[in-house]
Amino acid sequence: MQKMHARVLVVLAMRNLRRHLRRTVLTASAMIVGGALLVFSFTIGDGGHEQWIDSGVRLGNGHVTVERPEYRVSRRIDDRLTADVRRAAELALAAPEVAPHVVATSAKLSINGLASSSAGARPARIVAVDPVAETGFGMVDDQIVEGRYLEPDDRLAAYVGAELVDSLELRLGSRFVVQAQDTEREIAGQLLRVVGIFRSGVPAVDQMTIHIPLTTAGEWLGSRSDVTNVGVVLDGSAATALVRGHLERALADPVTRGDARVMGWREADPALAAAIAIDDFGNYLTNGFLFVIIAFGIVNTVLMSVMHRRREFGVLQALGLTPGQTGAIVLVEGLTLSAASGLLGVALGLAGTWYFFGEGLDMSGVMENIDDMTFSGAVIDPVIVPLFTARRLLQIVAFILSIGAVASIYPALRAARVDVTEAMKFDR
Amino acid sequence: MANDSTAAVRTAGVWKIFKQEAEEVQAVRGVDLTVGRGEFTALAGPSGSGKTTLLNLIGGLTRPTRGQIWVAGRDVSGMTSQELARLRLAQVGFVFQAYNLLPVLTALENAEFPMLLQGVDAAERRARVRELFARTGMDGLEDRRPGKLSGGQQQRVAVVRAVASRPALVLADEPTANLDSAASEALLDVMAELNRDLGVTFVFATHDGRVMERSRRLVRMVDGAIDSDERRS
Repeated sequence: MQKMHARVLVVLAMRNLRRHLRRTVLTASAMIVGGALLVFSFTIGDGGHEQWIDSGVRLGNGHVTVERPEYRVSRRIDDRLTADVRRAAELALAAPEVAPHVVATSAKLSINGLASSSAGARPARIVAVDPVAETGFGMVDDQIVEGRYLEPDDRLAAYVGAELVDSLELRLGSRFVVQAQDTEREIAGQLLRVVGIFRSGVPAVDQMTIHIPLTTAGEWLGSRSDVTNVGVVLDGSAATALVRGHLERALADPVTRGDARVMGWREADPALAAAIAIDDFGNYLTNGFLFVIIAFGIVNTVLMSVMHRRREFGVLQALGLTPGQTGAIVLVEGLTLSAASGLLGVALGLAGTWYFFGEGLDMSGVMENIDDMTFSGAVIDPVIVPLFTARRLLQIVAFILSIGAVASIYPALRAARVDVTEAMKFDR
Repeated sequence: MANDSTAAVRTAGVWKIFKQEAEEVQAVRGVDLTVGRGEFTALAGPSGSGKTTLLNLIGGLTRPTRGQIWVAGRDVSGMTSQELARLRLAQVGFVFQAYNLLPVLTALENAEFPMLLQGVDAAERRARVRELFARTGMDGLEDRRPGKLSGGQQQRVAVVRAVASRPALVLADEPTANLDSAASEALLDVMAELNRDLGVTFVFATHDGRVMERSRRLVRMVDGAIDSDERRS
């Protein structure tokens, strides 16, 4: 009997929506446009964020990084990963459950030092890399200003940030000296030659960073092939938790012993995580306001419909519907309208945003000095490629449905509380 | 107070007092009334005499201020809204002055509606409605929406809706008030036939002389109380 009631309520709700077609279409239009804007806004926002993350992790240590717990603060050569930990991490990343998500892995020795030339001395971040692995990991091709990146046979070669090159008055082919603490805790110097100059767009990186071959660092500092961290770039930030969890399980013993720590990009780069959270919050707030306005529109429309149908609700209760069932008709109407409008809005938003999926949305026209724009250590690309995820689309549909349900509650209560005898007197 | 389970309706000392600002209006004053099963009873009286309020009290659309009401042997005085709704669904059919068909449903669907809520299966619903449509001259109009039916036709659908679910009684509030003479006579013929052939209990609130004339029991109300109760053969 309850099942029968539910079917009757749905039929009545659907017929009423069709009966007041103009009112239904007007309300639905507001929700469809709102839904489409939500899809556009969030897919573009998510796409932008993914680009920030990608830029940030490639300039830094990847979506997931393995390093000693002390290293993040000390940045000292003493806090190197043991060869066993490095091997175990690299082996774990080759496992079939995570390997498809792994785009590039790079093991680096990254320490603080001093770079000197005849023009003076500057603090430097010396990053010793495997040139082949780093080519896939970083954004080398996009950043070269002059010269080339490191090659496997290079020995004394250095790939240097453009602003550091300027401040040391170097040029391609210039020689300069770097000094840092070696594994014996002695200050050791190394003569290098500039083979490439890069500009990442992030001032802190361009002012300090020097890439050298890992073999050169091993000989110079006595660190052989030891590294301070193993970083991995994934096919998307969504895979971070999976890969991090997998690495934590694989490195459970060294992690317990305090020989290693596995971090996701949020932990490794809290400023970037916070910047994205703030941007997301702004997005939620703007869209929240938009939907509060739409919700008032729905309340108004549904309430007007309820006021016009007082007699009908009175009749329904006289015929045997309970007040709750009468209210349910209004709720079902609101939910049906919201569901249909939400799905159409999402479809419209997808169709509208899909155009930008290939080429991206070029925002350079509205961003001044776009070439210099960085945000929390990430370079902002003015061309944003939207990111579509099933989770986000489901969230949007659920949000629209919730708005529809909430907006229908008050009209539903009014319908449920109708005074049957008074409603019967009501004559249109 | 004893309950007569053979009666379709029984009221005992029923009062209904409305509050209008500071004033109290005694719409129904101490009514004792028993309507047996199969009766064709008219509550008559001028406007404001309390006949519609008494009908609403019997139908559980409003609650008495004092007194008790039994419908089909069940005391409805203390029922909750849900219980009253279930009672109306199972035991009471309504015919209203303004027809009050659901505009989004066809004539057939309107007539089936209470049975749909009762969970009567589709074949049974169709059979009952088609039989009643044939009796009331509504054949061929099953698929029309109320807006496409005349007042008389709408009221016949309302009567079929009230009767088809086989309630203990049908309460009809001024059913002929919006109809012309011919349509009124035709409707009364239909209801009288249903009463005679199927034993449906009808209680009317009316001030239409034709309804009073056709009723087999005429209860006159004045100022919320029963003034006279006349049975006819």
